This record gives sequence, structure tokens and C-alpha cells, in this order.
Amino acid sequence: MLDIPVNEAVTLADLTRDPYPIYRQMRAETPVVRVAQTNRIFVTRFEHTKWIKENPEIFSSDDPMTPMKPAFQAHTLMRKDGDEHRAERMAMQPAFSPKVIRTDWAELYTKLAEDYVSRLPKGETVDLFADLCGPIAARILAHMLGLEEATDEQMQRWSQRLIDGAGNFGNDPELFALSDAANAEMNALFEQVMPRHIAAPNNSAFSVMLNAKMPIPVSQMYANIKIAIGGGINEPRDALATILYGLLTNPEQLEEVKRQEAWLDAFEEGVRWVAPIQVSGRRTTQEVQIGDHVIGPNETVMTIQASANRDEAIYADGEAFNVFRDKHPHQAFGSGPHHCAGAQVARRTLGQIMLPLLFERFPNMALTDPKEVIWSGFGFRGPLNLPVTLA
Amino acid sequence: MTKITFVQPDGRSQTVSARAGDSVMQTALAHSIDGIFAECGGAMMCATCHCYIEDARTGEASQGEEDLLDCAEDEVRPSSRLSCQIKVSEDLDGLVVHLPVTVD
Repeated sequence: MLDIPVNEAVTLADLTRDPYPIYRQMRAETPVVRVAQTNRIFVTRFEHTKWIKENPEIFSSDDPMTPMKPAFQAHTLMRKDGDEHRAERMAMQPAFSPKVIRTDWAELYTKLAEDYVSRLPKGETVDLFADLCGPIAARILAHMLGLEEATDEQMQRWSQRLIDGAGNFGNDPELFALSDAANAEMNALFEQVMPRHIAAPNNSAFSVMLNAKMPIPVSQMYANIKIAIGGGINEPRDALATILYGLLTNPEQLEEVKRQEAWLDAFEEGVRWVAPIQVSGRRTTQEVQIGDHVIGPNETVMTIQASANRDEAIYADGEAFNVFRDKHPHQAFGSGPHHCAGAQVARRTLGQIMLPLLFERFPNMALTDPKEVIWSGFGFRGPLNLPVTLA
Repeated sequence: MTKITFVQPDGRSQTVSARAGDSVMQTALAHSIDGIFAECGGAMMCATCHCYIEDARTGEASQGEEDLLDCAEDEVRPSSRLSCQIKVSEDLDGLVVHLPVTVD
């Protein structure tokens, strides 16, 4: 058994700029390593990250010190285990089930997507990240949660404030003040729409929770909706931008995708290539061996699904975007009890509806210059802009 | 050795040897059976290991499993089960598992 190696060199700034060369080296040389600057243990190989997420008794999601608690003004299901987590998750899950996606959200999303895409000016250059990817993600989520009254701008701002607060490991009071203000706005809206959902039950998450046979406490409904706001905009936004970048920088693949209508494959490859949520933390509940190393209890282990998704042991040439690679399940949606509740919604809305619609409307759209696209992020990652000429 | 037969919607079938202690889902993955995805890895959270089993030896679905089946992609029938919730034992020798068709 070996001591855990320590990496003194890597900084959060490096990881935010481009983590992939760092992860490639870690997978090869130090697949279990303490990154000194974060004082967390990074686990970068596919077999380990999957195993960790599927063994919640050893690797708990419960982290009493997480800034998520002040940011969300609640201990949320993301940071719970076992029955408690299941009860809160299942309270909301029916709103995201394939059945309800078919009956409610697919048709609505198609209408919204047509509306948002038709507003884009043909022949001009726009930033699709700001003008499409973010707003459409906000709009469909507002409906799915039962918050149609919220504007796209509000939804996106609340989401960002929650995320900034949840990542506020330095306890900057300014960031918590901003997330507090967002919480106050969200709570006011929740109170306003609650009677409507009780009077006229529907398939939105809020209504499903309010009208359940055995409802969870209202405070936890609020927390659940906030988790969905914090986690349901960035990911489809970044996934869409990433997939578009992958297709537009690989025109031969794009042509083949159009020919085969392989939009779902394009979706899966995009989220494998750059997973919108790159990293998930777990806390060890006991001494445990990972690879060649023994880790003590109460250590924070970062499972790096971004790295697992490019692991040479699973994927040939995993650093490249290749829609037509040999299929293998990826970990972009995680695994285990916290497997992404929005996975099916994302596949259907982006893979089955948005991608074909967008390329049908603008078959010859092109990035003005791929080098202008800025990628950023350690925990969450994607392009920050996507300047495209619409044709 | 426990034999399990997986039958695809088009009638193709494949009989494999299952290891006692594994779940039916793990058996399917180990033999690359089409139609079982098991995205959550057996945590009873995704319903992507949905199958149909008419065999009293597998017992009844738990309440949690029933709740998840409501979220399955495919048609849910009285014989619907999540294959991650069925543990292989020698008692299950000869089990027949039908895979669902995707409705769209």
C-alpha cells in the first residue's frame, strides 16, 4: 500500500482554464492524488469514479461544511443519502419521467424551440450561447417546475447566484448576500404560485410535490425547486453549446449526423467529450482503498467524471469529439443514487428536438472563428460564447 | 450454474450463465445484452434496466421499485420489473427475461 501522492503544482486557475491535459497526466501517473491547493483527493479513472458513486455507504454525499447550505438556505437532497434522499427525489421525479416528457414537455419544448429559433436573424452573426442556449434552457425549466411567471433573465440570474453561492468555499459574504437576495425573490414567487398549483394540479414539479399523497415539507419543496433551478439551466445550456461547437468544428461528422439523423448520438458524444458537470464531491465514511492507496475517513474525494469520460482504458482517442466512436456508457450524468434526474429530459429536448430543428433552419451556419470561443470551468464547464453566422 | 434467457422484442434470444449474487441487471451488462442500460448502476434511480418477467420465483416489486417503474421509458405492464432489483440465485435457473420496446 502506498501513501497518497500530493500534487503541489496544480492550481484551480489551471483547472478552470483547461483541465484535460492535467487529467490525462493524472490518469497515467497519479490516478488517486491529493491536490494541495484544494486539499481534496482527485480520482480520475473511469473504474474508480463509477465505483465511488455507486457505493454511497462508503462515499457519502452528506457534507456538513458545504457552502451549498447557506447558498440554498437549506440542506438539499444533493447532499443527502439513503432513504432521506430518495423520498425527496421521488417527490419531484414524476415531473421528469419519460411519460410526462411525452405527454407535456416534448410538445411544449418543440413550440418554445421553434419560437426561440425563429427569433434568430438569418444571415447575421449572433452569440448562440447568450441568445439561444441560455434562454431556451431557462424557459423550458420554468414550465417544468411550474414557474411560468419567472422571466428567462430571472431564471438565469437565480441559477447563477445559487451556483456562485454553492461554490463559495472562501465564504465571501458578498456572494452569500447575492444568493440570499435570489432566495428571497424565488420564495416570493413560490408563495405566489402555490395556490394555483393546488387549485389546478398539473405535471409541473411544484404541483406534483404539492399534490402528492404524502407531501414532503414545503421547505424541502422549495429546496428541491432551487436545486432544479441551480442545476437545470447551466447543464442543458452548456451541453447545447458544446455539442454545437463539436459539430461545427467537425463538418464531415455534421454531414454524416444529418444524413443518418444521428442527433442523439451527437448529444451523447457532446456531453461525454465535455461533461457540463465535471466534478462531484463525496466524503469518506470509513477507511477505504482506492487503487493502490488507502484513504482515511472524513476525506473529501473529488470524482472527476470529466476525466473518466476520456479514460484511455475505455475510449480510444477520448480527447477528440467523435460522434461515430464505438459506443460505451459515459459518466456525464453520474451514476448511483444521485444519477442526474434530468438526463431523459435533456436527451429528448436537446437531442431529439433542438439539434435537428436548429440545423434545419440554419443548415449552413458556421462559427465565425473557433479560436474566439472561450472555454472555462472546473466544476461546471462549457463555452462562454458561441459566435455563429446564421445561414 | 444459473442460466438466464434474455428475449429481445423481435424474438431474438440469448441464454447466458449468471453468477449467484449478481443482479439480473449485472448479468445482462456482463453479457452485453441490448436494451439494459442501467445508467444509475443499480441504485434504483433511473429505470433504464426495465424488463418484463413472468416468474413467481422473482417475488414482488417493492414500493420503491413500483415508484420507479412509473418513470420507465417503455410500456409498463403487470410483469414489469427493474432487473437491478432481482438477485441471481440457483433457485432462478431457467429464468426468462423479456426486454421492452421503446415507445415513441
